[in-house]
Amino acid sequence: MEQELADLAAKVAALEEGAGWTTTVNLEVFYWWCTAFMFIIHAGFLAYEMGASRKKNVLASGIKNILAFAFMIPTFFFFGWWIYLAFPGGLVPDFEAGAGGVPWSEAMGPNLTDNATGIFWAAFTLFAATTASIFSGAVIERIKLSGFIMLAILLGSVVWILGASWAWHGDGWLLTQFGWHDFGAAGCVHMVAAFFALGVLINLGPRIGKFNPDGSANAIVPHNVPMATFGLMVLIVGFFGFLGGCIIYMGGEQWVTIFGNPTTLSAIGFNTLMCFAGGIIGGWIMTNDPFWMMSGALAGIFTAASGLDVYWPPLAFLLGFCGGVIAPIGARWLEKMGIDDAVGAVSVHGFAGLFGVLAFGIVASGYPNGDYPDTNFLAQLIGAVTMLLLGLIPGYVASLILKQAGLLRIPENVEILGMDAAKVPALAYPEGMHSPDPNGSKAPAATPAE
Amino acid sequence: MGSPIDSWEGAAAYFTGAGGASPTIILLLAIAVCIGVIIIGARSEEKSYSKHD
Repeated sequence: MEQELADLAAKVAALEEGAGWTTTVNLEVFYWWCTAFMFIIHAGFLAYEMGASRKKNVLASGIKNILAFAFMIPTFFFFGWWIYLAFPGGLVPDFEAGAGGVPWSEAMGPNLTDNATGIFWAAFTLFAATTASIFSGAVIERIKLSGFIMLAILLGSVVWILGASWAWHGDGWLLTQFGWHDFGAAGCVHMVAAFFALGVLINLGPRIGKFNPDGSANAIVPHNVPMATFGLMVLIVGFFGFLGGCIIYMGGEQWVTIFGNPTTLSAIGFNTLMCFAGGIIGGWIMTNDPFWMMSGALAGIFTAASGLDVYWPPLAFLLGFCGGVIAPIGARWLEKMGIDDAVGAVSVHGFAGLFGVLAFGIVASGYPNGDYPDTNFLAQLIGAVTMLLLGLIPGYVASLILKQAGLLRIPENVEILGMDAAKVPALAYPEGMHSPDPNGSKAPAATPAE
Repeated sequence: MGSPIDSWEGAAAYFTGAGGASPTIILLLAIAVCIGVIIIGARSEEKSYSKHD
């Protein structure tokens, strides 16, 4: 009898150990595939940005987009992850909390006792690359590559991740002091990247020919609207990885958000599809333009992103619809202000994200946040202002410095000739595809900012 | 450089050079490469553009 009990206890222990390993490995598997899906975001951004460029700049735009991604990865290893871990309290680093994120930490490499750091680092690196790609599209066809890379590193490996430490961290001060809630990172990813781009655009200036002397705007036609539109749909596929990466796998327990409240992937499934649909319909009713319909889908997701874990699906649909309506209106307003955002990134990510963060405070206040203040409008307002300034000020100051140093904008004659002819040792369409006119066809405008 | 372990039993951090000085050197080299290629890229870009002045 005693032997049987001992055998049974050994079997239970073995089963418990096996279950523990299953939980650990499932965590890795889940975030592994989220990261893979986030790569699809960048396939989408690449097609979107190249399609939105004129034929004379299409490869230069592709190079810029790819390099932003490439430089983000090592720099996020060098200092990005440390910033996330060390700054949840504000601008003063907590060296003890950040110790696991310094590049020489034993956690920052293959380690048989740590199944989490690498996979979370990878997912956050892809979030960082997303911010750089958001910025990348806005500044196509006239920014210097070297200046752009420096700005992308600043945004992706410093600025946004500082915002994430404040607004997307279980100990972030916006949560612990005010009760901020932003499930899908409308603030620290989309607002920060978009307002950083706006700060750069102010110093970079519009493309030659965009505005007339009287301030009226001209259409600068993208060379391949179908490719750009397809890229936007691909990008949305990738967002399922992004949104999956916003939820925390707890093994034998219910999923939780970064803010500590329980949730389910089912909740995210309901609301992501509903706000996506609302965004398309909003973009359609405003423009009839497929590019804007898909941009509206993105804007719709960002408008509902803060509360994807708690919204009733028809509410997510309505918020998405608002995002689809806001995006083209915001782009037109920016154009009237003399800002040439080639793909409408500031409006789609920034204005829609801002609206969504504030809307959460109105329609979803009162949700418990554990030991911290319940969700409320004031927290959303403080967080929105913080994210806006966190993006805008570094973008403006850094680009002003680069402008003074002559590292921001390409020479006028190169801009007229085209960046591909000036520096790219390859032809985009060597068989004579598309119009021989280097400025593309004379078809009506279809770019977001037009 | 090389393996920091002589057995997988009880191994924790096992990346090349773990616990030694070589990761610091490799890290500095990697940072230098990133900075260096940005500088080289900027010069190359200026050279390309100057051909079209």
